[in-house]
Amino acid sequence: MSAYAQPHPRFSVLSSSSLSSADHSSPTSTTRFSYPSAPSINTTLVGSPKPSAVRPNIYDRPLNKTRTAEVSSSAFAFLFSEVVQYTQKRVAGITDLERRLNTLGYRIGTRVLELMVWRTESTGKAPKREIRFLPTLMFIHTQVWRAVFGKPADALEKSVENEDEYMIIDNDPPITRNISVPRDMSSLSCSSYTAGIVEAVLDGLGFPARVTAHNTPTQQYPGRTVILIKFEKSVLEREEAMSAK
Amino acid sequence: MSHHLFILSPSDSPLYSLTHFSSKPVQSVSSPLASNLPSWSTSAFAGTLTSLTGASSATQSHHAQGGGGSGVRMGGGQDRHVIQMIANASLDVIEEVMRRDSAMYLKSVDKFNEWTISAFITPGNFKFLLLHESKNDEGIRSFFNEVWELYVKTTLNPFHTAHTPIRSSVFDTRVRASAKKYL
Repeated sequence: MSAYAQPHPRFSVLSSSSLSSADHSSPTSTTRFSYPSAPSINTTLVGSPKPSAVRPNIYDRPLNKTRTAEVSSSAFAFLFSEVVQYTQKRVAGITDLERRLNTLGYRIGTRVLELMVWRTESTGKAPKREIRFLPTLMFIHTQVWRAVFGKPADALEKSVENEDEYMIIDNDPPITRNISVPRDMSSLSCSSYTAGIVEAVLDGLGFPARVTAHNTPTQQYPGRTVILIKFEKSVLEREEAMSAK
Repeated sequence: MSHHLFILSPSDSPLYSLTHFSSKPVQSVSSPLASNLPSWSTSAFAGTLTSLTGASSATQSHHAQGGGGSGVRMGGGQDRHVIQMIANASLDVIEEVMRRDSAMYLKSVDKFNEWTISAFITPGNFKFLLLHESKNDEGIRSFFNEVWELYVKTTLNPFHTAHTPIRSSVFDTRVRASAKKYL
């Protein structure tokens, strides 16, 4: 295949970056990202009969979900592993790492929100946004979780001590299933990425909040994670005003 | 007969704008290209003042047939900065309404002289504003729906951020085609 001899510049960038990251990554994971993966990327992407054909424009592609658009969880696990390693090399401490993961998740969250609401609402006559407080939390707990992780979250709780805090609990978050955090970093929760997604969705719908992730392992669920949502004061005031009406 | 579309980010920075001259009602428009250019001359400023007071805007809009020496004229006989100001002024009303109304499409949310403002709020709090002179409820609804789809496709691009102005020529072509179809 000529694609190997003369790789498209786009893919050569891809493969060279994967090479360099393999060089830097920790010894335990290098074997997983070995070189043969690069050609296989080429075959899947350039596999069309006409290499010279213009790639379809992003505006030509349908937004609806298709079966073939699903990504395997191992592919995502590899990608997320790289994301965490990449981020970790560029930060000073755990707080910083979590903040960066949160920022990356935020970018996902804004897109998830727009896309999933488009998928459910655009066919209807009068598309609606969520504007109430509790329905929004339920929406995140069920729909957003289902869209992102393929299952609803396990619980949605209100903090007893603080009026403005809510918690979404996942007993076994899919994105951290393959992550084992070293003992000296035990306060790190890679679900900060999920926290970023939640923060973006809340922000978009007009409920600004600070969202963080915390490990709360139990005997039964060692991976149990709490996504803690701390709303800004304005959100609660607005909610009070709305329910007073 | 003209329509003006503005897409604004959650922090109200402009991402995209379009002026569309509807071909449906017959009204001669001098040259869309020339009228797209902003003008800062004093005569344009005088136009602003009169149109803001609302005294002569109606007559102005229906009798300004471009052509002559009147210089830069926007569709309804108004200048670009006036249009922008009307659109931005409507944001106050829109923000008020969107807090209690969960509909994304807010039809005829605000009025200023002959202009009616309809809006569309995406779940991520991006705002599409449309200034129009005539009543065309269904057309505008369909138009907003198509712009929404195009917009979602734009946001899915990893190189696009919430505050990047949309410069894609394909986006522009598609929005224009949609405007032609529905407005």
